[in-house]
Amino acid sequence: MDQNFDFNAPHSMGTTIIGVTYNGGVVLGADSRTSTGVYVANRASDKITQLTDNVYVCRSGSAADSQVVSDYVRYFLHQHTIQLGQPATVKVAANLVRLLAYNNKNFLQTGLIVGGWDKYEGGQIYGVPLGGTIVQQPFAIGGSGSSYLYGFFDQAWKDGMTKDEAEELVKKAVSLAIARDGASGGVVRTVIINSEGVTRNFYPGDQLPIWHDELESHNSLLDILGAPEPMNI
Amino acid sequence: MDSVDESQRTLYPYVTGSSVVAIKYKDGILMAADMGGSYGSTLRYKSVERLKPIGKHSLLGASGEISDFQEIMRYLDELILNDNMWDDGNSLGPKEVLNYLTRVMYNRRNKFNPLWNSLVLGGVKKGQKYLGTVNMIGINYEDNHVATGLGNHLARPILRDEWNENLTFEEGVRLLEKCMRVLLYRDRSAVNKIQISKITEEGATVFPPFSLKTYWEFSAFKNPTVGAEGSW
Repeated sequence: MDQNFDFNAPHSMGTTIIGVTYNGGVVLGADSRTSTGVYVANRASDKITQLTDNVYVCRSGSAADSQVVSDYVRYFLHQHTIQLGQPATVKVAANLVRLLAYNNKNFLQTGLIVGGWDKYEGGQIYGVPLGGTIVQQPFAIGGSGSSYLYGFFDQAWKDGMTKDEAEELVKKAVSLAIARDGASGGVVRTVIINSEGVTRNFYPGDQLPIWHDELESHNSLLDILGAPEPMNI
Repeated sequence: MDSVDESQRTLYPYVTGSSVVAIKYKDGILMAADMGGSYGSTLRYKSVERLKPIGKHSLLGASGEISDFQEIMRYLDELILNDNMWDDGNSLGPKEVLNYLTRVMYNRRNKFNPLWNSLVLGGVKKGQKYLGTVNMIGINYEDNHVATGLGNHLARPILRDEWNENLTFEEGVRLLEKCMRVLLYRDRSAVNKIQISKITEEGATVFPPFSLKTYWEFSAFKNPTVGAEGSW
């Protein structure tokens, strides 16, 4: 176990990614940990990537694969927007992602959640898992950390939430996944997209709630110690 | 090639503890480990004690498979019991305990049925400080500071820079906390609930668990991809 740290292992975003619709747009959320094997290569990654002014994508799985797919989609969407003369729709963006994921399914290992707002359909979330299926959903979860959230969302997601309720839900969910998934960690990033525009938020690890079996943090043990309390001698 | 049935050999670990870090300091040994028991990449158990006093003079810290660590504790309980039954005023010191553990680990390795652990053993006897380590393949050595797992890569360089033999208790605790914080940032299996323990001529103390504050306020962290969409 000790001898097996493979620092040349492919960079993978263990990850927890989430996309939730609410009654005026969408909220996207993600953790910020990128790992190569057990080493955390980047503890503050940005996994929510812009495709157009009004459409963003949450990336999970292989860091390289998800970056190159979103680079291609951003490139195609840019040309499409110029040709169309108006902002691309979320559906078009999601389908471009699907085309790349599906036609290269034997080579890619990346799960994506596309979310955005357009004037025709309002806020929409599309999941594009491994294999290149596309599925529109009121909310989507992905990445290794999502395993811990199926039960949570089954219970906690409600139709017709407000913007603040939706963001609170996403932040709570990513934080719960970080507590149990070793491959997720760091800060919680959220992106809110609606008719008014895009808002990015940043919640560092020490601002997240404390869950079961976790403790309030301190600068040092020395701040807590009165006299040393022996637990056993 | 092995002395037990195929079905009885340990092939891979299930519930594992992450790094242990330990240093010699002015009055004895300081040791730190988090309280996580991971099940693959799931952080399943968050209150696992991985630092245990052994007899009057030693402290054992373990990383790796927790069930094997619990078995080792049973072997050591028996060792200490027999040592006490001699009732001869002598008690096993840290060097002897680590030597015993080394024989156990190496012999299991030779039967292709290892105890899947990396162990740190520290202690003080008659004013002599001792700190050493042994792992699942029986590699054993002593030093002024030791670590297991990713701690070797992340904590030891810090200790090589900042350790000296006259550390006070406070300096030692802060140095260990610095190492544990880096492990929190950079080790996937680290959990933010830490135990520090010390052993001196007077005896062993395992302090209550606590969590460390972490720092995320670099401006580069707030918006890393500004001006470079699509990067990480």
